[in-house]
Amino acid sequence: MSNPSPYQVPDGLYYTKEHEWARVTGGTARVGITDYAAKTLNDIVYLTLPPVGKEVKQLGSFGTVESIKAVSELYAPLSGTVVGTNQELTNHPELINQSPYDSGWIIELKHSMLEEEKKSLLSPRQYEELVKSLDAEHQS
Amino acid sequence: MATTKANKHTPLYEFHRTHGKMVEFAGYDMPIWYTSTIEEHMAVRNRAGIFDVSHMGRVDVTGPDAARFVESLFPTGIAKQPNGKSVYTLLLNEDAGIVDDLIVLKVEEGKYLIVVNAATKEKDLRHMERVGAGLNFKVDDITEATTMIAVQGPSAVEALQPLTPLPLADMKRFTHAFSTVKGIKSVITRTGYTGEDGFEIIVHDAASGAMAVWEALMEGATPCALGARDSLRLEAGLPLYGSDMDEATNPLEADLGWVVSKDKISYVGWESLSSLMQKGPARVRRGIVMDERIPRHGFKVTDRAGEEIGVVTSGTYSPVLKRGIAMGYVKTPSPQLGDTVMVVVRDAPSNGKIAKFPVYDDSMYGWKRRPHQQL
Repeated sequence: MSNPSPYQVPDGLYYTKEHEWARVTGGTARVGITDYAAKTLNDIVYLTLPPVGKEVKQLGSFGTVESIKAVSELYAPLSGTVVGTNQELTNHPELINQSPYDSGWIIELKHSMLEEEKKSLLSPRQYEELVKSLDAEHQS
Repeated sequence: MATTKANKHTPLYEFHRTHGKMVEFAGYDMPIWYTSTIEEHMAVRNRAGIFDVSHMGRVDVTGPDAARFVESLFPTGIAKQPNGKSVYTLLLNEDAGIVDDLIVLKVEEGKYLIVVNAATKEKDLRHMERVGAGLNFKVDDITEATTMIAVQGPSAVEALQPLTPLPLADMKRFTHAFSTVKGIKSVITRTGYTGEDGFEIIVHDAASGAMAVWEALMEGATPCALGARDSLRLEAGLPLYGSDMDEATNPLEADLGWVVSKDKISYVGWESLSSLMQKGPARVRRGIVMDERIPRHGFKVTDRAGEEIGVVTSGTYSPVLKRGIAMGYVKTPSPQLGDTVMVVVRDAPSNGKIAKFPVYDDSMYGWKRRPHQQL
């Protein structure tokens, strides 16, 4: 993996230290995992997703994502109620690798505490710094 | 994180570091993938892939008593094999527990080349020293002086042939020959760890010559890393030492009874093995193909009533079947092929079926496939 940072970190999203993103549109937010997470996991082959209506807490687990080698927990960037899950992922989990910020979205939340909770999330610049430092650690 | 300054490097390390995602494996910095485990896996099933397996241990055993030594070491008759045979066998302890699984090349009467697992090399060498005490032979560790590359897949002959004068298509599986690869003295053995036809080459160069061989092989084969090596061997049903067997496992349980030469006595583990053969194993290694979900090492296996009958020792996603697959141990009398069992995936029992290995259709994939059936 060569420099400069090969990972996309789009503007306008909120990020967690656990490598999830949230795109807020009015009262709801779409949630997925970042390009860095998808590339680090490599081929994503299976997901377990919450049922619609489930309440999630900020940084609480809402499901799992599995690559060939490993299982990882998915953490909610924001508290709220699950109002939708990406059904395309059932048969095409590789959409997360191909398009982590668009067709690879995972759940949609009706957020309940956005104003308070967004303060603890990372901005794109902050998340980019985090990824750079993780990458540097891995290369050394 | 996973990488530390103490780890060893193979002669192809610069290529891996530049093109791959690195992890620690058996004390080496090795690539886990270059592009995608699934792409690399399917390159081997459909065409050809190359793997750096230089981390595996390679030792020469030579001397007047070398034949007596290998006879006392292995449950398989090796000394009686014709020169040029490559034999899969096991190292056993006195209790018939598996110390390692390995390939022995019978070069000639007084000369053998043994290829062992990376993580067990030092233990194996100590074991050999104990067993060989008093015999006249020597063991030379040639691991760091050589580079070992596996060329695997239905196009393996086409990928390797341009680099060597040895007529590869004439070689039988599980034989080897001494020749050159890109002009460098090499051993070529028609063996592998993927279920496919292919070769493993031991090149007597651990520097730029080895890198040149790797680059030349890339003309006809895809670089593949440890992730694909693991998913390929699991589809094929080949056990991984340390995960699927260890010193608490005997060959009968591991479904490797076929390596034991029935007419052979007086090797390490023979007495224990004879009594085990009378009793039969209490558990046995089997394959499982899941309806959904992915089994992992350590997950419990139950029968349909929920009673625990075994454990998963390796699990992954099969790129060929596009399902979760596993190998593990189930107690005897074991469920039959096709029987439904459950694997407990993080508290959720999930259906699977006892399956034969390889898990893929062997008329479509693997070394038995019909010729010219390349997809």
